[in-house]
Amino acid sequence: MKRGLFVALLLCTVAGFAQDAELPFDERGKFIYYEVVVQKDVPAAMLMERATKFFSASKELKLKTVPQDTLWMARGKMVINKTAFVLSRPSGEVGYHLYLDFKDGKYRFWLTDFSFISYQRDRYGNFVPETTVGIPLENKPGKLNAGEWTAYSKATAREARLFAERFKKGMSEHAINPPTAKAVPSVDTKNQKW
Amino acid sequence: MKLKSIFTTASLSVASFSYAQEAAPLQISGSVDTYYKYDFAKVPNIGTSFANDQNSISLGMIDLALKKTTGKASFVGELSFGPRGQYGSLLNGDGTDGNSFHIQNLYASYAFTDKFTMTAGYMGTFIGYEVIAPTGNFNYSTSYLFTNGPFQNAGIKGAYAFSNKVSLMVGLFNDWNVYKDLNGVSHIGAQLTVSPVEGWTAYLNVLSGKSAGAVGTGTVLDLTTSYQVTEKVKLGLNAADYSVTNDGGGYSGAALYVQNAFTSAFSLGLRGEYFNWKGVAEESDKHVAAVTLSGNVKAGGLTFIPEVRFDNGSSSDMFKKKNLNPSKNASQFALAVVYAF
Repeated sequence: MKRGLFVALLLCTVAGFAQDAELPFDERGKFIYYEVVVQKDVPAAMLMERATKFFSASKELKLKTVPQDTLWMARGKMVINKTAFVLSRPSGEVGYHLYLDFKDGKYRFWLTDFSFISYQRDRYGNFVPETTVGIPLENKPGKLNAGEWTAYSKATAREARLFAERFKKGMSEHAINPPTAKAVPSVDTKNQKW
Repeated sequence: MKLKSIFTTASLSVASFSYAQEAAPLQISGSVDTYYKYDFAKVPNIGTSFANDQNSISLGMIDLALKKTTGKASFVGELSFGPRGQYGSLLNGDGTDGNSFHIQNLYASYAFTDKFTMTAGYMGTFIGYEVIAPTGNFNYSTSYLFTNGPFQNAGIKGAYAFSNKVSLMVGLFNDWNVYKDLNGVSHIGAQLTVSPVEGWTAYLNVLSGKSAGAVGTGTVLDLTTSYQVTEKVKLGLNAADYSVTNDGGGYSGAALYVQNAFTSAFSLGLRGEYFNWKGVAEESDKHVAAVTLSGNVKAGGLTFIPEVRFDNGSSSDMFKKKNLNPSKNASQFALAVVYAF
């Protein structure tokens, strides 16, 4: 029993560590989240239609290319929060480019060109971007701010993975043809024999 | 038995964590600041807000802000404790017993649509470039425009965003810097925000009304703008005119801000200001020109602000020399530490 508990704790620790890793670099030396998703027997046109629906429902993404192209590019941003227990506050936002490539039966997507903009509190107590020009996440900020920068980088990796999960769900067949809602069961009190 | 209690505790923790994830988080943030100032005439000379104590390691304030958003509704409550708040910018209760509410912001908002929001309560003023919280300013000492303008406005306002580039706020407000208005809601204010290009935002502000006991109607016209020229260079400008009818005086002035980030941890910023007090009745105007050079050294949430400042006034009685004789000039050094969380 004790050994089982120890293994479970170990697995949790390993899983936690994996989630906290930074993103890998691409051939340009930029952070990248890259994934190829196979969807057998689904034509490219259908995948594009699903992606269009995903983009039109998303407030965080702006499509920058014409939908006729097979390689799509969109700009998005993710807010990085500092969290402790049930409390949280935004510490900045990370802008990124999302690329999408479609083929019959599969598609691939990658997030890259991450740039960080720090937030500061404005006169009304709201968090707002400190500047409009982001700093590439690959930049090394020097010793004084290294710890904080690594935290932003790890948080970006975490958010990228969460986005990927949302996106893949949006691209799945289930999202395009949602099952009809089940009727909510109700109790009839008037015509009951009791 | 021991193992059972461990499992119970773990389950409870997991349950409360899941619950916490479902609820919108409460934002808690704030800052603390402290400073040392040395006036080269060895007497406190420059009368702008904050950084006033001579040759003393003195307190700024601890600032605590709470924000919660539930759907379309949100509130902000921001409390400030310390000399920067109580002596420098915030009101004491109703003015009869010296008690302070320590309130910097206390308001609720409701976003009726993505474009239209109504807000009511006590808010940081929409006038001017500089703010009360030290985290919102590059320089630690403040401009004359900040010190002489409003700090806060209680009122109700509606803001409508015509597009990403243009929005308009219109509101009804109390007198400047009061929790309750003794002569009724007496001021009307508006702010037109334009962002013609990325990185450039300009605010055209107006606030007008007759304060309790005032000789006439006071009107502030204010332009506040900033432009992030490159990743490293930022420019800012604040120009304002305040006039009170029936020869009630006022002020006018302009401040230019130039900042350069040499690295992500070190920036330098220069503020140049010209400020004019309008004479009341037969009095003549007085003016002052001030130059402030500040550094910002950042390490995580901590910012060190070394600063030198030179002020030159139009009349010889504006400042004091070492021997307490009147002087046209004043200069000071300050080192401030600000921590934001």
